[in-house]
Amino acid sequence: MKREKRIGISTLLKKNISKGQLIGFSVANLIGLTVILCGILFYSDSHHRKATDDKFFSDDYIVVSKEVKGINLDPVAFNESEIADLASQPWVKKLGKFTSADFRVNASIEMGGRGMSTYLFFESVPDEFFDSAPAEWKFDPDKRFVPVVLNKDYLALYNFGFAIPRGMPQLSEEMIGSVPLKILITGDNGRSEVFNAAVVGFSSRLNTIAVPQDFMDWANQRFSRQQDKDVSRLILKIDRLNSTDWEKYLRDHGMELAGDKEGDSKVSQFMGLVSGVVAATGFVISVLALFILILSIFLLIQKSRPMLRNLILLGYSPSEVIKFYAVTILIINIVVTLLAVGFTFICRLIWHDSLISLGLGNGNVLFTLGAALLYLLLLSLINITVIRRHVYRIWQSD
Amino acid sequence: MREITLLHLLPNVFKGMEDTSQIRESRIWDAPPFTFKKGCRICIHAESGGGKSSLLSFIYGQRHDYSGEILFDNQNIRSLSIKNWCEIRRHNIALLPQEMRLFPELTVWENISLKNNLTHYRSEKELLEFLSVLGIQEKKNTPVNKLSIGQQQRVAIIRTLCQPFDFIFLDEPVSHLDEPNNKIVAELVEEEAGKLQAGIITTSVGNHLLLSHPEFVQL
Repeated sequence: MKREKRIGISTLLKKNISKGQLIGFSVANLIGLTVILCGILFYSDSHHRKATDDKFFSDDYIVVSKEVKGINLDPVAFNESEIADLASQPWVKKLGKFTSADFRVNASIEMGGRGMSTYLFFESVPDEFFDSAPAEWKFDPDKRFVPVVLNKDYLALYNFGFAIPRGMPQLSEEMIGSVPLKILITGDNGRSEVFNAAVVGFSSRLNTIAVPQDFMDWANQRFSRQQDKDVSRLILKIDRLNSTDWEKYLRDHGMELAGDKEGDSKVSQFMGLVSGVVAATGFVISVLALFILILSIFLLIQKSRPMLRNLILLGYSPSEVIKFYAVTILIINIVVTLLAVGFTFICRLIWHDSLISLGLGNGNVLFTLGAALLYLLLLSLINITVIRRHVYRIWQSD
Repeated sequence: MREITLLHLLPNVFKGMEDTSQIRESRIWDAPPFTFKKGCRICIHAESGGGKSSLLSFIYGQRHDYSGEILFDNQNIRSLSIKNWCEIRRHNIALLPQEMRLFPELTVWENISLKNNLTHYRSEKELLEFLSVLGIQEKKNTPVNKLSIGQQQRVAIIRTLCQPFDFIFLDEPVSHLDEPNNKIVAELVEEEAGKLQAGIITTSVGNHLLLSHPEFVQL
């Protein structure tokens, strides 16, 4: 008796739902969504390194210099017209000049009782070219502290080329950062001063030893008699997405790309292509699954039309009828989405190790989860709209 | 709802037939205002094809292919919203359609419950009593498609009573019932309508519901 009391609209509608059609839709949708999510996750994983590789500069920045041929006695430098021409190129979003130091730099370091000193050079780029400036990236003449950003390759050169054969300790980035440096600056005006310094960050895009622009301006004035030196290197913010002309321009004008990352960009282009193809395939499968569902809903409602009409004539509102179908579809969509997310992370195991060995992988999963959520919402919205339209059409045709 | 008024009502299919004797003699089609008042007992009589079921479909808001007006307490029903109609079909107007519109795959009890669970109007005890009065208590758990037409008619009558109403419309309710059953149905409907002071409007082509003192109206 108790069970009988609960007889309602769903008792009737459940009997008229075709399980085969719903299973067909769910499977097609599951495959489609899994493939889309795999495409997106693979894209995030394969592009992961670029995003975090360089804390200070995104890959929209390139550093260019003029090619050195034979032995150049005069410094190889850009003249004003070359800079103006470069700045006028449509793919150049921003152009900045490197300032080089007009003084000699000697850095010394003390580690475990052993002292070491070396000649160095400094360069600077305008602060606005840092996507995010390192902490303490300011120079105050009173504090006499100079923050330095070092190229990653220099550390690798030291660790693997220099330290091992000489029995010196190998150093991590964090370790270097914690070591205090002493810098002796000697100018051509005979002035000589000592400063404290520390490596505050590493960059792979900026292949130099960089100091803040305000320090460089201050020091050049203090230690050098020469004013307005030639510019030998430029930093450019380029429109990589919308143009590939820049590569050709640099070649044609005898310019070189510093720290050539072209190989990297080819790999990432290929990865992008692969994930694009995967995501597109998933999209096509999902669109087909969506059509199957819309067709199923259409057939189901068409088949149940007399029954739905009778329910409405009994006093059931169209929204009560819609609610049953909407809840059913929503449950199916949620289950399908959860399963697809699960399968996607299982599929990730296939490429995860290979990408990690390439130095990629472990991309941000939020984007993938967001895409799954968006898909769930969009699909459910389309489904429910279709159901509503069909049920209200029954009401109107009465 | 106190009254239902029909103003110059004419189904679209009868357009152009206004001068025929069938329409001229009718008290409802293309006629001066005709009103069903609460508490009325009316038996509408017509030939087959005279438009009885169409009339009930128009009043129940199921079809709109007519000219003229139908007013519920002075409100033209063409202006009612979907929500209004759902309310009216749950609380004001009960209809037993000629084709009954039962759900064949559901049992007798499920069919009745489907309506009663919408209105929560009848207790389980009352419903069992109705089944017993109409002699189909043993069929309670039988799917409706296994019943005879006469038995289905009785199930449909009970389902129609599973709601409060100001007017109950019964379209040929006893066309497949014998006289004793006709009397039982008539008594049951009159008793329930009496409690609500509701109007009873039935139609028939010959075998009419045996109400006490009905007014006969020629459609």
